Amino acid sequence: MYLQSRRTFLKGAAFTVAGAAIANGVFATDSVAESVSDSKFTNTPDTISFYPDIKEWDSFKELDGTDWKRGGINRHGVRSESNPDGIQVNDYTIVPTVCSNCEAGCGLTAWVNKNEFEKGILTVRKYMGNPLHTGSRGRNCAKGYAVTSQMYDPDRIPFPIKRAPGSKRGEGKWVRVTWDDAMEVIGKKMHDTLAKGDEVSKKQIMYHVGRPNENGFGPRVPQSLGIDGYNSHTNICSAGAREGTIQWANDDRNSPDWANANLIFLQSSHAADAGHYFQQSAGLIAEARKRGSKMVVIDPRMSNSAGIADLWIPAWPGTEAALYLYLANRILNENKKDGSAIVDHKYVKEWLNWDRLMANKDYLKKMIGYGYISKMPKDDSYESFIELAKELYSPYTKEFVVKECKLEGMEYKLDELWELFVPAGAKIASYLWRAGAIGHRGGWMNTRAGFLPLALVGAMRGDIGGVGMHHWHEISVAGKGDKATVAGKHPSKTDAWNEIAWPPEYPISTYEMGFMMPQMMMDDEWHNKWTEKGLKIPKSIAVYVPRMHNPLWINPDGFRWMEALKREDKFELTFNLSPTWSETNWYCDYVLPVGLAGERNDQQSTPSKPEQRIEFRQAVLRVAAEKSGWKAKDPTRATLEAHMKYGLGEVWEESEFWPNLIFHHVDKDGKLGIRDYWASKKDPSRCVSVPEYFDAALSLLPRLKAAATSDSRYKNEEYPVYSYIRDHGAWTEKTNVYKPQEEELEFDGTHYIAHGHKHHKDEVRKDEFGALWVKDGELEKSIGIDVDGKLHEGFHTLSKKLEFFSEWLTEWKWPEYAVPIYPRNDAENDKMVELVTQVHHKYMKADNEFALNTIYRLPYNIHTRSVNSKHLMEISQNHNPVWIYTKDAEKLGIKRGDAIKVQIEDTLSGIKSGYFIAMAVPTEATRPGVLACSHHAGRWKLQNSVDIPGFEHSLGIMSLGSPKVSMTNDGKVGTMTTTEGIKPHKAWQFKEYNRDLDDIWWNGLSGAWQNAVAPVHPDPVAGNHGWHQKVIISKAGANDKIGDIHVNYENNFKVYKAWQALARPLTVGDQWRRPYHIKRPVKPSQKAYKVEIKDV
Amino acid sequence: MNDELKQEQIARINIYALLSRLTMSEVDEGLLKSIEEDENMLSFFPSYAKWKKRDEYDRKHLIEQYLNVDFTNLFLLHLIPYESFYTREDQMMETGGDNPVQAIFNAFEFRVELDKARVMAADHIGIELEFMYELCKAELKALEDGDLEMAKQLAQLQYGFMRDHIVEWMPMYLINVKNESGTAFYFDLADFVLEFIMSDFQYLSDLKDKEYKYIV
Repeated sequence: MYLQSRRTFLKGAAFTVAGAAIANGVFATDSVAESVSDSKFTNTPDTISFYPDIKEWDSFKELDGTDWKRGGINRHGVRSESNPDGIQVNDYTIVPTVCSNCEAGCGLTAWVNKNEFEKGILTVRKYMGNPLHTGSRGRNCAKGYAVTSQMYDPDRIPFPIKRAPGSKRGEGKWVRVTWDDAMEVIGKKMHDTLAKGDEVSKKQIMYHVGRPNENGFGPRVPQSLGIDGYNSHTNICSAGAREGTIQWANDDRNSPDWANANLIFLQSSHAADAGHYFQQSAGLIAEARKRGSKMVVIDPRMSNSAGIADLWIPAWPGTEAALYLYLANRILNENKKDGSAIVDHKYVKEWLNWDRLMANKDYLKKMIGYGYISKMPKDDSYESFIELAKELYSPYTKEFVVKECKLEGMEYKLDELWELFVPAGAKIASYLWRAGAIGHRGGWMNTRAGFLPLALVGAMRGDIGGVGMHHWHEISVAGKGDKATVAGKHPSKTDAWNEIAWPPEYPISTYEMGFMMPQMMMDDEWHNKWTEKGLKIPKSIAVYVPRMHNPLWINPDGFRWMEALKREDKFELTFNLSPTWSETNWYCDYVLPVGLAGERNDQQSTPSKPEQRIEFRQAVLRVAAEKSGWKAKDPTRATLEAHMKYGLGEVWEESEFWPNLIFHHVDKDGKLGIRDYWASKKDPSRCVSVPEYFDAALSLLPRLKAAATSDSRYKNEEYPVYSYIRDHGAWTEKTNVYKPQEEELEFDGTHYIAHGHKHHKDEVRKDEFGALWVKDGELEKSIGIDVDGKLHEGFHTLSKKLEFFSEWLTEWKWPEYAVPIYPRNDAENDKMVELVTQVHHKYMKADNEFALNTIYRLPYNIHTRSVNSKHLMEISQNHNPVWIYTKDAEKLGIKRGDAIKVQIEDTLSGIKSGYFIAMAVPTEATRPGVLACSHHAGRWKLQNSVDIPGFEHSLGIMSLGSPKVSMTNDGKVGTMTTTEGIKPHKAWQFKEYNRDLDDIWWNGLSGAWQNAVAPVHPDPVAGNHGWHQKVIISKAGANDKIGDIHVNYENNFKVYKAWQALARPLTVGDQWRRPYHIKRPVKPSQKAYKVEIKDV
Repeated sequence: MNDELKQEQIARINIYALLSRLTMSEVDEGLLKSIEEDENMLSFFPSYAKWKKRDEYDRKHLIEQYLNVDFTNLFLLHLIPYESFYTREDQMMETGGDNPVQAIFNAFEFRVELDKARVMAADHIGIELEFMYELCKAELKALEDGDLEMAKQLAQLQYGFMRDHIVEWMPMYLINVKNESGTAFYFDLADFVLEFIMSDFQYLSDLKDKEYKYIV
């Protein structure tokens, strides 16, 4: 039409409808009602200041966000009595807190609007980042900004509820109770259990913690009760990685220096686009890459990280160890281009325990027997060790790796990896977590083997740009507020050992085997066997307390959990300290609503960089109210009172709940000797308050204490350290924490001073390898190491060095795996079954048989903690199909959107578990032969809402994120099918935050509850659940619906038993339950560690 | 004022009104009816006039199933109808006070209600076209009042705004709309806007060359 004559447009004059009637009329020309020149506000700020200065946090005024849309103050002016139509100014108290959605613990600030404080109204308008948190640096991921929607979730449980008298667990009949009613019943039951005082009763209260997001308060609770009753979710999340790291360094996990690395070396998408310390790590990784660092991602799935990496290696899941040992082989046997060694010989010689291996002739002979080496080394020298290592790893050739990791056609990637790895030198930062480590039988060896190449090049020294250790950068003082209590000291260790959490089959598990608690509880054969052998295992749990945990849904074999939790003879009294509805709640006796990110009081510490930092999560409404002059009637219940007064509901939290429960109900007369650990030193007639307790705990940090007590704002406060952290929300105690193992061990001529303890020189023994030993009860522990005449603190291993050779593993029944190793041929692959993943490609025989990769995280969801967020539910819709490689899909005639039946088969026993129906999406982003479907989706509920007698509103249940299902289970087979999609429940509370409920367009996540189908796969060494599954897929039948599941959980029990048989349990002659030196949460006494297994 | 000038101004006002309306929000049944029943209006939508789907469906269905879908794609999701996206090197939208178009509106005390417009920033195509509509209206009023100096200032402003803003980016966006459009209606609309702004810029340039000597 180029170009129409101008005259054509004159037709516009003849439009039958005039322009004035057509135009939207979005321009307004009314003048400003009031001059804004005196106001600090402007429509055109010179800079956008994301965070006001902390000096303004107690009262920061900001224009209301909604009104900005009306054109800002230039048109309407600032609201005042004379200008009621002006833009509202909000007066905020900005209260720092910490996100609780994942373990990263990023800093948040709650913007608490106090405009109507005088009318008794306080609301959090938004959550932003906390710029004072040196890890998250003011930033958050989607989950952080979702906290507002979670806080004011219309389905929030408003008060404690209890299973209706006369009803059974799971019937869904509830009545309202008060916290005091609940505490009275629970406290009495706990008291009566503890009052028995026998060994079994010390195992009958179990505190089962989900992602704790705090550093020590939770463990203090069972320890003060004198029980071995701490259980956690840790095992299903990360036992494999922990095991591998413990064998190297006796540390929980590594802690990389992302920002200064030359190479970011990732196994799975963890750190860069999801998972542990994700948001903080991702920012540091991005900075490193901007500086020129390279990134390698080893993952069968092309995650966001893999997509932007310099190199993506889609190794077959579970075979990563082969790849790492291939690197070790080349590092040992090749040189740099300039001819120099790739191995950092000085470091390896000084800091790896090769000397103990070379001195252990028996073990060297065993290595010959295993076929690892062909002959005894000629001497004990370092050079001979290197020769031994060269031979040991020489079978891990490129050809071998290509075959084992199924990288045919991708050989060039191995060359590229080498080209990236060697120039990076010791500046390689890595996180060998998740996926390879937790998905598999033998997954721990993926971490164990993965650290070998890093150790050889010196990256494990923990220097700048390398890999440090987790606890170097972590501060755990939340359990140490002892000085605020009447007892004035830490509770002593219990003498009991809880076999339900720490079963005798898995003496080196990392850690509690909480994921298979129902299987153990309902396994009479197992129970009887160990009872006959002399162990005292409780037949029931008197009080079972999940805490922010949803074990029924999150763990494998969910129907077994359901069966177990319904058994009142096995779980006598149960209560969930849960902020939200959950599948587990449905089967509990009490649901006690506790706080989310801005409603709790926790000290957390997340090692995301080489510094020591704490963050403090706090109840922001309480803090804001107190700053405005409000005072609680009972200082020990201030958080609960504040939440009730300011409209959140009867929402409490653990740091006030437990002291109150124990002080007033569990041990109200003090006869059990527990009360004093929670009684306030300041006022012994009550329990400790949050300021008292945390002031005492945080005062253990010398620099924080010095800063707070010298600061004019705080030094005259009653609780200066608490007040400081209350206002700042985070504190960095120490920066640049590198290679602390090389710190000099203090010796004053008479005493060695190690970790704050003095040891007289006469009590210290130096062994032939330079390690210094002192008595530790019946045992010895090492306190330092002499390296070339200099005393150092050393690593936390017994040898005080990084343990290439895990000597203790030889004593704990796994000698063949005491050095990093991986089966090198088919015969070894069959023999070393404990190291071979259950989804190894050798098990995949037909075109429709696949390895299913289940355990990658979706960056906007967090297992069971995001269904209460409207925001997160909206952005995560239909993001969880089954990924299938395009050519595999083509071969099977599967198209995008097809419903497929995914049948799980255990490769150890050959038993089939059942199936789930899911939506297939063919994609190039997963490797051939491997499906991907995250287990973070598939929430369910049986009812849309519950009615509480006497309460006018019905309570919605996960109505924004979970479809409704119908379910059958007969003790053997369970089924589930979706009957109704998302149906928002009427918002009777928090209406202002939920005006958009009519706009809920989504219909539920596309995922199925695959966890229920998965049988329990306990790894015989680390005890982790091997999450990945062998699956057989086919197109769904006419009656199958996406989301359906069908499980034979009787079969699942057989699978559990088959896997259990791989373990090497305690036997006659064993004297200890577990190696005393390796980590164990809430460590009991040596007496508890001692064991005698009867020969029956 | 003479009739030819008046007709010209009214035409400009009406066309800017129509174009700003259609580029800012979804067409409704009433407006679509007006367009279809007014041969002058319809003549600017030649492909739409012959579009077979018009025979198959009523307006409601047409709007809900086709036109709104296309609008969403062209104006909300896929293409970015904001000047700053096209003019900034980093292709970021400027939604704050630094938006140069917002600064112009502020300077002339035109306040745009972004929530009513349902747009993110003041440099949205529909807003810029409605701004031209407002200026044309004001110019007509000045001419009717015999205030030629004011009319001149308003015409200068229009010329400057078109030169520095509309002509700088809108053709690029509109060509993208033509390429991406899935309905005859929005294809025609893009063509219509493109033709008109080029023509109107020529008109304003000519007026400038004549030193704004209106023949009144």
